[in-house]
Amino acid sequence: MFEGTLVDLVPFEDDYATYLESWMNEEAWFRAHLWDRREPHPEDAVKKYIEKMEKNERAALIGYQTKAGDPIGGLIYDHEWSRVRKVEVTFFTGDSRYEGTDEVLDGLLMLARYCFETRNMHRLDAMSLAFDEARIDALRRAGFVHEGTLRQHIRWDGDYVDVELYGLLEDEWPGYAARIEALGLQASDLEPKPKPEKKLEDEKALDEKILAP
Amino acid sequence: MMFEGLLVDLVPYGKRFFALERTWRNNDSAFWSSGGDRHIVSRASIQRMADRWAEEAEQMGPSRGIMFGVQAKDGTPLGFITINWLLPHSRLAMLGARIGDPAYWGGGYGTDALLLIIDYAFGWLDMRKLWLGTTSVNVRVMRQMEKTGFALEARERCAALMDGVWHDGLLYGLLREEWPGRDAMVERLGLRAKDGQNGSSTR
Ligand SMILES: CC(C)(COP(=O)(O)OP(=O)(O)OC[C@H]1O[C@@H](n2cnc3c(N)ncnc32)[C@H](O)[C@@H]1OP(=O)(O)O)[C@@H](O)C(=O)NCCC(=O)NCCS
Repeated sequence: MFEGTLVDLVPFEDDYATYLESWMNEEAWFRAHLWDRREPHPEDAVKKYIEKMEKNERAALIGYQTKAGDPIGGLIYDHEWSRVRKVEVTFFTGDSRYEGTDEVLDGLLMLARYCFETRNMHRLDAMSLAFDEARIDALRRAGFVHEGTLRQHIRWDGDYVDVELYGLLEDEWPGYAARIEALGLQASDLEPKPKPEKKLEDEKALDEKILAP
Repeated sequence: MMFEGLLVDLVPYGKRFFALERTWRNNDSAFWSSGGDRHIVSRASIQRMADRWAEEAEQMGPSRGIMFGVQAKDGTPLGFITINWLLPHSRLAMLGARIGDPAYWGGGYGTDALLLIIDYAFGWLDMRKLWLGTTSVNVRVMRQMEKTGFALEARERCAALMDGVWHDGLLYGLLREEWPGRDAMVERLGLRAKDGQNGSSTR
């Protein structure tokens, strides 16, 4: 576990894998994966996605949760490019109650911290659909700088929408601690959701398998 | 299938081109097209790369990239021009080009090829927007973009490391409604075949 101020970063497994079966079919997912064709993701596709990310040495899918252990969603880095020390970062708010909260911002800050302070990156790339205000707000507050607008770039529900590009450089990153101090994050104190039932069923099935003679 | 321009034709990127890959990949053309990489690659590893791409391409279906060889009117292979990363659901695709022999740079060959592939992407593939990325020191590409009406949409700071110096990445875009068509562009730019080469290939 990698501990932040309002959230902790954890492996994307167990309950996260179960939650992803619904998260991957919800609005927040598609906003974060703006290049992808909108299509349903059955359980198999979800499993494959997690496996693909685990095997990809230039990318990672990381779970983030409140201090009480309530899973919020995923933090992603992708296309890490070692020669240029550059990586694309994104995040999704699986549990929509957390949309726009400081927990999500702390998730993004922890991802930036990890990329700069652990992975030694020089530059983080981020982008947002122009209407995704919660994402743009989080990027701005985290210190990302707006670098341009890709005009009418992505087909979205009958329209072609702009994509806003952001970048954050190593020498603009004051360090996680300094950033946190300047921001004064507030916990939203949402009630943790009940554990997913699906998981319990799976465990039961597995137990039965193991117990079966 | 072949697209005929004034200085170049777009043809399949076949063996005659591939035979020159080792030279092109190891020279300055690859440095510029990759935004600063210095490839030092053997024939065998180039072949492996090509095999891997071909395998991947087979699984990609309609988003598979398309590569043309660019050849001079006398049949000399000059390099490639590509449409990559097609997103049919957004009707969006990225362009890329590399003229392998620096002796041919700045002679109008690249722009001639660009006009052909833009027409192809809009006219045949029904794309709606084309975009491409380069670096803030690639003056040939910047000039080409300006000439052909692409808009500079983003400047990614310090996104390219070139011989030890950080440079910005530039992203350009062209919407279909902004494209007057190849004929109009040929006229506007006053492009002409070179003397003695009236648009017919010798090969
Ligand atoms: C990019 C490339 C395909 C362009 O093709 P090209 O045949 O060189 O381009 P053109 O001659 O049609 O156009 C280049 C323009 O830049 C101008 N130019 C050339 N050298 C220049 C220089 N040093 N300073 C300023 N302008 C220059 C040319 O004069 C021309 O403009 P003009 O028509 O107004 O005279 C080719 O140069 C190339 O393959 N370069 C190496 C790889 C690369 O950079 N690929 C693209 C990566 S995004």
